[in-house]
Amino acid sequence: MEHLFFGLAAVVATVSSLLVVTRRNPIYSALFLIVMLAAVAVIFMLLDAVFLGFMQLLVYAGAIMVLYLFVIMLINPREGDLTDEGGATERAFAAGVALLIFSLLSFAISHSQQVERLDSAGSIPAMAAVPDSHGSVAAFGLELFHNHLLVFELTSVLILVGIIGAVHLAMRRRSTPRPPSTVEDGQVTVDV
Amino acid sequence: MFSLATLLYLSALLFSIGTYGVLARRNILVVLMSLELMLNAVNIAIVSFGRAHALTAFSGEHGGQIFTLMVLAVAAAEAAIGLSLLLVIWRRWKSIDLRQLCRLNG
Repeated sequence: MEHLFFGLAAVVATVSSLLVVTRRNPIYSALFLIVMLAAVAVIFMLLDAVFLGFMQLLVYAGAIMVLYLFVIMLINPREGDLTDEGGATERAFAAGVALLIFSLLSFAISHSQQVERLDSAGSIPAMAAVPDSHGSVAAFGLELFHNHLLVFELTSVLILVGIIGAVHLAMRRRSTPRPPSTVEDGQVTVDV
Repeated sequence: MFSLATLLYLSALLFSIGTYGVLARRNILVVLMSLELMLNAVNIAIVSFGRAHALTAFSGEHGGQIFTLMVLAVAAAEAAIGLSLLLVIWRRWKSIDLRQLCRLNG
């Protein structure tokens, strides 16, 4: 059963991420990205990371994607404003680089002795029998606040910096031109 | 089928698709979305390694999941900053085409 769901989620994630990078209209890209993020959340839950899967749905598919859709609707590009995409050479170059990265990664995965050793124990559900509480909010939170408290606090500082930066950048400046440069004490101050 | 190697291949595949999106597209919005795609691909690899090492890892049973939660927070901050930069660019040049942003090009 887990194998079936994993296969389904993997296929959905791959197909929808292909659609994300190929659709011309960014609205379709955003909607397919939501599908892809939900499929990744399913994979997390199958990996016994239930809390993380729900966080993925809440933070990514909920908050971040709403932000994307909001920005798309705010700038409201009309059909004519849509950027025409690169020519065949650009696409071929990008596909070549992507293929190169994929083949390098596949080579590394297939030749890794560690992966081979871990895989010899069987599929993921059979590999290491974790306690039932694994991935639950209680076990996850206990470990987060006991062993990784500093990282957690630093993350909150990072989010704060992100908020301040976003507000500062997106704040609408005065649209009227500033008054001309004034002369004070013989020095010309220039507004930049 | 549902093994560590399969998960890593899936992660590599999604990462390369994201790379293609970043390199081939000219719409800044889609480039940012492709970045999110790449972050998610890496998250899959981290969580599956964390699951495989759950009982032996030095960082505890949930090390991989906690790392992924931090990546989630970084992705949220990155999306907020990136999208507000995009808004500034749109207000200034009325375009979100990456080709218009080559002004540092000598």
